[in-house]
Amino acid sequence: MQRPIDNVLNLVKSKFNAQVKAESDARGQIEVDKKAIVEVAKLLKEQGFDHVKSVTGIDFPEQEKIQIVYHVSSYSNPELAKVILALKTYVTYKEPKMQSLYEVWESAWTGERETYEMLGVYFEGHPDMRRLFLPEDFEGVYPLRKSYKIKLEGLFVDKQA
Amino acid sequence: MTNRLEDVLENSGMAVDIVPVEGELNVGPQHPGSGHMRILVKLNGDIIEDVDLDVGYVHRAVEKLGENRNYMHLIPLVERPAILDSIHMNLGYVMAVEKIINVDVPERAQYLRSFAAEVNRIASHLYGLGILGIFLGHSTAFMWGFGDREVWVHILEMLTGARVTNSYIIPGGVRRDLTPAIIEETKKAITYMRKKLEDWKKIFLYNPTIRARLENVGVMTKEKAIEWGAVGPNLRASGVYYDVRKIEPYAAYPKLDFEIPVYKEGDGYARTMVRFEEVEQSLRMLEQIIKEIPEGNILSDRFFKQIPPTRLKKWWEGYRRIVLPGYYASFRPPKGEAVTRVEAARGELLYYLVSDGSAKPYRLRMVTPSYRLINVMRNLAKGSRFADLVSIYGSLDYFPPEADR
Amino acid sequence: MDILGLLRFYILYPSFFVTVIFPGLVFTLLLLLVTIWFERKAAARVQMRIGPYYASKRLGGILQLVADAVKFVFSEIIIPNEVNPTLYALAPVLMVIASFLPIAVIPLSVIPPSGSVFSIYFKDFYDPDINAGVIAGLFVNYNLLLVLAIESVYPIFVVLLAWSTNNRFAVVGAVRETYLSVSYDVILLMSTLAMALEYHTLDIAKIVSYGIPGIVANPLAAFLFFVAMLMGSSRFPFDISEAETELVIGPYTEYSGFLFVLTMAGSYVGNFIYALVFADVFLWGWYPLSGFPGLVLTVLKAVIVLFFATFMRSVYARYRVDQALRGSWKYLLPLAFASLILGMVVGYVWIR
Repeated sequence: MQRPIDNVLNLVKSKFNAQVKAESDARGQIEVDKKAIVEVAKLLKEQGFDHVKSVTGIDFPEQEKIQIVYHVSSYSNPELAKVILALKTYVTYKEPKMQSLYEVWESAWTGERETYEMLGVYFEGHPDMRRLFLPEDFEGVYPLRKSYKIKLEGLFVDKQA
Repeated sequence: MTNRLEDVLENSGMAVDIVPVEGELNVGPQHPGSGHMRILVKLNGDIIEDVDLDVGYVHRAVEKLGENRNYMHLIPLVERPAILDSIHMNLGYVMAVEKIINVDVPERAQYLRSFAAEVNRIASHLYGLGILGIFLGHSTAFMWGFGDREVWVHILEMLTGARVTNSYIIPGGVRRDLTPAIIEETKKAITYMRKKLEDWKKIFLYNPTIRARLENVGVMTKEKAIEWGAVGPNLRASGVYYDVRKIEPYAAYPKLDFEIPVYKEGDGYARTMVRFEEVEQSLRMLEQIIKEIPEGNILSDRFFKQIPPTRLKKWWEGYRRIVLPGYYASFRPPKGEAVTRVEAARGELLYYLVSDGSAKPYRLRMVTPSYRLINVMRNLAKGSRFADLVSIYGSLDYFPPEADR
Repeated sequence: MDILGLLRFYILYPSFFVTVIFPGLVFTLLLLLVTIWFERKAAARVQMRIGPYYASKRLGGILQLVADAVKFVFSEIIIPNEVNPTLYALAPVLMVIASFLPIAVIPLSVIPPSGSVFSIYFKDFYDPDINAGVIAGLFVNYNLLLVLAIESVYPIFVVLLAWSTNNRFAVVGAVRETYLSVSYDVILLMSTLAMALEYHTLDIAKIVSYGIPGIVANPLAAFLFFVAMLMGSSRFPFDISEAETELVIGPYTEYSGFLFVLTMAGSYVGNFIYALVFADVFLWGWYPLSGFPGLVLTVLKAVIVLFFATFMRSVYARYRVDQALRGSWKYLLPLAFASLILGMVVGYVWIR
């Protein structure tokens, strides 16, 4: 019997130029170009993936790009509810911009706002692209980029004798 | 209705000018009903036109600190955002680490994890009900919530050694074993709580003022709940059968017999009822766990073997406690990523852990239930009355530190 | 008359004794402390707590309230920048005065022609309706009306107070108070009017002397009066204008120190006045005692009513303002009409 995750992944693969991988029965990932992500998202929504669990940005300084990961799953379809798909794409440092998925999944609202303030990725089409957690006077730097170093107090095990 | 009245008045030559009274109220951060955040409320008369949640007053930068600490050092950190629900915060993270280092957890430890998690869920729900009570001006519910919570916190203290910041769950198992004294205390606590829940119903659930304040307030339809990405009891109160303990069972939940309360109404009262019934279900689960818990080790053999025999003799055989083996100090898991989810007290908690092979995570993403409620609360508050802001807040059981992380 | 007798004459002179000593200023101040103590202790009892305790373990912690009062009196009064300081300081004082003033005209007991310490004032406070003297600060024939008329001025000062503090929460609280005062005053007046019709008089002393307690003659009016009293003095479940989690403390948000004590005292004193009227009109007042014991009995009944009203805190949550308004106009107002009719019928058939 074919697993539900394979059906979805094969469907995405047949329609788009995407790298898909099923890690297990319940986890899978789709990597697409950022230009195609809205279309992929719409397809996934048609398949029953109705909400975004998290929007994550991961900084890769060597490659000068940031990976954006949307974890999507379903509430309404009990089969797909077991599955969490990671929808991945990249934006570059030079152009840290991509189309917002707010119009597809309204639940991306919080995550996209947080990714914007923490990594400086601008989501076009998001209705409320402002900072969320950071204070008003926190300007110019993006805390979750690897270039932002925080001062750490040494733990006693790390100290030289 | 009002339009008709205005027409009648105008036709009879008594036109009334209704002047809209608009203004903004800055609820918080120093306000008895705001919690650790600022709620910018735009009012038109008594109706809320728009709400902006200015969150972030208790932001701890868990995700950034996560990139700078060892995997083990993160265990106490991830439970800080929601110390009243720390077992769940802990459990989700440890499950992600276990997935990356690929370790199996012994059966007894799985049961102990469920035990601690359910005790924690009861404590957390009582806290939430207490806060809801005081938000509606019901000080008795507030005090009862915190008073009855103490019973469960005490059990957690006996089990883990700490009242709230337990750090009980470690990769491969749990830190301490269940003793007969704890079982005895839990049985007493279950009897007490069953009795007390009846009193709770009388003074809180069936109280006419509480019903008036919660029924038909902050109604979230099933479609909206899905669209906004609501979680946990709030989602279930809107008629969506969704609980990670059933959808993707972890710990000992596949073996436990329990039900998920689901309500269709989607209003504040339904959310409160769901919490109440979850407490009852948790009591049921605790009884089963006490009865069915298998004998055995509480730490994976892979790590258990690394504990020096002398210390094992003293601590494990003497006190039934695990001393952390040296492996934990700064282990380097293989490259990879893991997505885990648990059903925390307020809803689904998701961890996304990316490892690059070093001793520290490359990226730790922690999506707490309250974080996902920010959007829900913002949308629900629009169009409600100003006095309902607190009842929506309380019935969603939104917890600002958990949302800010 | 020797000097002591003269002193006694002046101290016991009802206009002075009732308004200043008992149950006037001195007693009310003490009662305020005891009421708040009781409120906290009773709530604590329900809520699995002990309540105030450590300030005086033997007295059940009642000195905690004295300590609190002393602390409040000596703490700094912060006046916000953009307010008129005169109005800001005057408003709470006026409010307390308005809520306290009716005590001067409430009849609290009767004076028998002889045998009581008050008998010497028999002629000065003679009430022809009941053929006896009346212990009241000032005896007027229409005291029932006058008490409610003066007490209904109280919300106006709440609004003035909120306005003068220039705070948005205070203004919202004042608006709520305005809405509520309109609705509870109607019910209050109608339920007392029902009693006035029933007993064919506007004199409280005559109502009491009639020999039938009002709660028996017209239980409906008693219930309405009690509910309206809860609303009028912002007790739970109608703690709407103060609503802590919504409006901080409503109209009194900006106040601190002694002025805050005054604002808090306002509603308690108002409640006490209503409770005195309730005790007189519905609970048979001083009957069957007279003179000083009668006075004590009336006040005791009022204190019990007051305590009961404060105890509501541990049972109820607060209603929303629209629910309270809907409740009072849609359900209580028709009931008030019913009580009026009941009063007329009973007054015609039973009480002549």
